[in-house]
Amino acid sequence: MSYILGFFDFIQGLGPNVMMPIIICIFGIILGTEIGKSIRAGLTVGVGFIGLNLVIAAMSSNLGPAVQQMVERFGLHLSIIDVGWPAAAAIAFGSTVGLVIIPVCLLVNIVMLVTNTTQTIDVDIWDYWHFAFTGALVAIITGSQTLGIIAAVLNMVIIMVIGDYTAPGVEKTLGLPGVSLPHGFSAAYAPIAIVINKIIDLIPGVRNIDINMEKVQEKFGVFGEPIIVGTVLGAIIGVVAGYSFGDVLKLGVTMGAVLVLIPRMASLLMEGLLPVSDAAAEFINKHFSNRGKMYIGLDSAVGVGHPLTLSVSLILVPLTLLIAVILPGNQVLPFADLAVIPWMFVLITPVVKGNGFRALVTGIIVIAGGLLISTNLAPLMTSAAVNANYAMPSNATQISSICDGANPLTWAIVRLNDFGWIGMIVVAVIAIGLALFNRRRILKEALES
Amino acid sequence: MKAILLACGSGICTSTAARVKVEKLLDANGYKGQYKIEQGKIAEVAAKSSNFDFVIATTMKPDGVKCPFINGICFLTGVGVDQVTKEILELMK
Repeated sequence: MSYILGFFDFIQGLGPNVMMPIIICIFGIILGTEIGKSIRAGLTVGVGFIGLNLVIAAMSSNLGPAVQQMVERFGLHLSIIDVGWPAAAAIAFGSTVGLVIIPVCLLVNIVMLVTNTTQTIDVDIWDYWHFAFTGALVAIITGSQTLGIIAAVLNMVIIMVIGDYTAPGVEKTLGLPGVSLPHGFSAAYAPIAIVINKIIDLIPGVRNIDINMEKVQEKFGVFGEPIIVGTVLGAIIGVVAGYSFGDVLKLGVTMGAVLVLIPRMASLLMEGLLPVSDAAAEFINKHFSNRGKMYIGLDSAVGVGHPLTLSVSLILVPLTLLIAVILPGNQVLPFADLAVIPWMFVLITPVVKGNGFRALVTGIIVIAGGLLISTNLAPLMTSAAVNANYAMPSNATQISSICDGANPLTWAIVRLNDFGWIGMIVVAVIAIGLALFNRRRILKEALES
Repeated sequence: MKAILLACGSGICTSTAARVKVEKLLDANGYKGQYKIEQGKIAEVAAKSSNFDFVIATTMKPDGVKCPFINGICFLTGVGVDQVTKEILELMK
């Protein structure tokens, strides 16, 4: 046993660039993928990691000093750089919890299916990273990898229940029958949207308001183009930092490049994971698909195309920047994750039944709250990045992400651990309670049909 | 040479998964080297669509698409691939 642990310590010590290719290759072979294909897949993941690291380094070495100068000149406290979800995913997969997250989550899914506590076959292996992210932060707070893994498992259980619960809305509003979206980021906003929606229902007058978002997509379309958003934002930051004209242009073009390149690198990570994810999906599909009404759990990206989701997200790009500047207590400079605002809305849209006004109100609330959350989680995310051998910005700048760094569920699970064992017990009680509640609903529906 | 636009929410994740499967399918049907696939974001589809022969998307159809549109969600779920395969092969002719 000590040899095995020693081996794991050794490859983990080499950093995710080496560790992930080996792990992915081993998983591929275990799941029955050909050896050649497994090696190629593993190496592709390694390429993705190295590429991401290069781009993030380019981003922090250019943006870091500019942000620092901006802070000094105007006392703007936006010193935490939003490095974006691809970096968060790489940090999560590169953590110790991330090392085992794929088999652990597969097992959780299987146990939940067998015990009738979920109807979802989650084939979206890639997005297990959200659970690993929560786990990695908990492991840092508690100093225990076991608690980190437990936190990741409980996170997944809660998200799976939310996925089942929102599936009818996904079918009706998004037109995706037989699909649920147990996505660690998108699903976390469904309960908040449900509460806000109920509150608006109670306010006379306000409850009748709706805004037509049809024209928004044309007018705000430019906010959906990373190359333009990155360049303009980079140039603005350069101006505020008091750079010379030439340096403003340099920063602008570099930041435009960063926003275009980050997703390309993430795409390589994704491509490398595909053989493993396909094999795992096939495995659970084959063994668990004949169990009454089932949903297939997908990446919430399949729901991003809803016109309301796209429109509200586009409006929120400039609004998020404005909120970041005026919101007291916020220190996060929104940047790379301005592109993932649509993911917040995938499940908000069905909850508000396509009402533009309600989607916008919910959006402003979750963004403002999210900025404070990511400010709060930035020190943890920064140390997680250091643990995963990521090149950190100079000047002790911190990093965060508006994707999982601002995720209210992640935050709740992580921060409850500040209270020690009690916190984890509270999370466990909630997760198991939700699972049992879901089981009752599933069994009742099975009897009725 | 057919130009195919493969779109998803971000142009990264699910479109990569679908692209790999579509390429396999087209190669298996003897179209190797006779097509070009570009990945993109669903938000750009309406604007870009006039330059392509058809679009495969892993999310819902936006307004203003100017070429044939195929819903490729089946490549993620594994349900209903046969029907969509037929549609794609029809468009390749």
